[in-house]
Amino acid sequence: MDFSLSNEQRAWQMTARKFAEEEIKPISLELDDKPDALGSFDWDIIEKGSRLGFRTMAVPKEYGGEGTDYVTQALVMAELARGDSAISKTFSQNWKWSHLISAACNVEQKERFLRPFVADHRFLLGKGITEPTAGSDNRLPPKDDNKAGLKLRAERHGDEWILNGEKCFIANAPVGKLFFIDARTDPNAPLRQGTTMFLVPYDTPGFRIGKVFNKSGWRFYRNGEMIFENARVPHINVVGPVNGSSMPQSNVAGDRTGGDLFGDLELAANALGVCDDACEQAMKHAKTATQGGRPLIEQQMVQLKLNRMNMLTEALRSMVMRVAWEHDHKVHSANAGLAMNLSTDVIQEVTELNLEIHAGGAIARAAEKLVRDAYIWSHLAGDTVQRLKVAGRLARQTTA
Amino acid sequence: MYNLHLSPEQLEFRDTVRGFVDDVVKPVTLKADRLDLGERTLPLPVLDQASQMGLRTLALSEELGGVGADQLTCCIVTEELAAGDADLAAVVAETAMLGKLLFSAMSPAQRQRHQAFLDDDRFHLAYADHEPKSETALGINYHRPAAAIGPLKTTATRDGDGWVIQGSKDCVANAPLARLFAVEAKTDKGASVFLVPRDTTGLTVSENAEPRWYHGSCGTLELKACRVPGDALLGAEGSGPLLGRADSQHDAPVFQALNLGIGRAAYEAALEYAGLRRQGGRPIVEHQAIGTKLADIAIRLDTVRTLIWRAAWAADHPAAVADRSLPDLPLATASRIVTAEAIYRAAKDAAECFGAMGVMRDMPLQKYIHDARICLFSGDGVADLRLRVAESLANYRRGPSMQAAE
Repeated sequence: MDFSLSNEQRAWQMTARKFAEEEIKPISLELDDKPDALGSFDWDIIEKGSRLGFRTMAVPKEYGGEGTDYVTQALVMAELARGDSAISKTFSQNWKWSHLISAACNVEQKERFLRPFVADHRFLLGKGITEPTAGSDNRLPPKDDNKAGLKLRAERHGDEWILNGEKCFIANAPVGKLFFIDARTDPNAPLRQGTTMFLVPYDTPGFRIGKVFNKSGWRFYRNGEMIFENARVPHINVVGPVNGSSMPQSNVAGDRTGGDLFGDLELAANALGVCDDACEQAMKHAKTATQGGRPLIEQQMVQLKLNRMNMLTEALRSMVMRVAWEHDHKVHSANAGLAMNLSTDVIQEVTELNLEIHAGGAIARAAEKLVRDAYIWSHLAGDTVQRLKVAGRLARQTTA
Repeated sequence: MYNLHLSPEQLEFRDTVRGFVDDVVKPVTLKADRLDLGERTLPLPVLDQASQMGLRTLALSEELGGVGADQLTCCIVTEELAAGDADLAAVVAETAMLGKLLFSAMSPAQRQRHQAFLDDDRFHLAYADHEPKSETALGINYHRPAAAIGPLKTTATRDGDGWVIQGSKDCVANAPLARLFAVEAKTDKGASVFLVPRDTTGLTVSENAEPRWYHGSCGTLELKACRVPGDALLGAEGSGPLLGRADSQHDAPVFQALNLGIGRAAYEAALEYAGLRRQGGRPIVEHQAIGTKLADIAIRLDTVRTLIWRAAWAADHPAAVADRSLPDLPLATASRIVTAEAIYRAAKDAAECFGAMGVMRDMPLQKYIHDARICLFSGDGVADLRLRVAESLANYRRGPSMQAAE
């Protein structure tokens, strides 16, 4: 057992902490407060973070990226999230798809897409999976319904594929330059056997962004509709085998959010940073705010809340760092999914306790924002489908 | 004797208000642009219609010109209204509760002067007790003799045959709408309550700034050399505050019924959606994971309703503790705690059934979560209420009014 960080890991952590404190935190509440969905984005913070390497953390060094390990990625996500959860996610969303490029794209595609991604500080990545009638069905396709799951259609015409349909809630859609798109290429086969993954640049003819969603939390994070009307994508942009994108045994396993190595860890590590922020806010308030001239922390009820917040946060930290270490050492388990599920319960309880400590008089905007951000986990990381998926993984492990 | 039958009048009230909410309230309040927290405004025409149905004067006795509904009936009505809109329900409930409290404490002459309340649909009431920077939490004073509420700073001084009131108040529910305020102020003889019409010279009312962290309408009062006639005094000079504690008004079961109405709106939305939304090859309600989630929500709502109705019944039957029918516990505070926690959980779970739609600001689920959160965290928070129950269990008594004695 060795819990120490390498000098390089520590250096990344400190750089991220400084950036979060000096650059992210000062603008976080102001951006959260912008009333419309478009107003809360800020390209400056993306550029500044990108110059420090936070956009390209997961790109291998041979392609000009930072080539960091999972432990470093977890540390940096948590530190950035301490400044603003949604800004951290906007950076790490690129790592998620950088991992996919490394795992699934051929050499020609890597050259064609990774090079410009690394070179442009405003180049963001996304992936379109969810559709209005296909959410949970993509994560956990029913065995008895071949039609279930995404419906966006791709048909081959010579060297091109013609895409028709729509996606919704797609992260980075309104700000991204390149997207992975899962499309149905065999409408009669089950989802996993009839889906192909395409690389679709933002300026593809016939492809446009529709509505930008206005969310109660993670307001910086842009989610949008994607509309495909005879969008033309060249065959060389097919990732992996046709009809093979979602095959679990393929290394092009599509998005198995929660199933891929990075996705589960990502949400758990981000939650950890939010919890750190909440614990810090709570302790500061408990020691400085007074009642009857005495600091709140003199009260047992406040001490018990601080205890629980820190206990849950440290338990989550242990699990997040363990999972990151296991990923680096190729130890395969269901732990990443469990950490993601746990992070939902922890982030919500910890941010709500923080708000409770701040109760009385005017409500603290900063504490209230964290509670709204934390509720995002309910549909991403802790909904019953995400828990059932992990249970399925555990069951498969024990029969193996 | 144990009787859970509702009277024909109570059933009729419930059906009428439910119909009103479905036909009139929801078409206005569930519009996308009103679901966004930043855009919320009070639906005044709907509020007028609620008044025309008698809901504004619901609790005031029939002899004094009101509807004369008991607390239980008020709870039934408020739950229905809040299932349509928590803001609407909050304004109506505040005025209805204060109508009974204030008008039954008034002299016949005072009632005569303020009789416009009976007929004017926009005549709302507010009770101004809370003062800026005053500490209302029990907190550090738990089981300590010190006052839980600091001394009253607003003063009323005799001036000829009248009074001059000086001071400021905040967190006053209904302030931006109210035509008549009951203002707590200190005279030589201690804490007293004064009736201050909105058009009184020297009174300035302003609406609370964003962010919105209350239901209905809320604001602050500045009283600068505010002169009122001698008989603006409600009850005897120094007789103490009418409400007892800064926020005991919100311990009233009707405000818990409001909280319950929020949960019911979330539940009904989730149940309907779970029957329509197909994932996993069937409507999601047919999956155990969603079905049991909805079951838990329904169980919570019904548990909470039982507690609220019991607290309301207790308020309607003050002798029920003495005759040993009810335990000597602060039932209203206890049910407020359980309600706030259960409904918050219910609203979150209901929203989860909607996936990403549960966090969209043009969809109702995030509104229900926020509304439930207000009930849980506003004021001094539910945690502080637990301390009050704990003191009560130990029969702790804080002695005579510290406010009066300073």
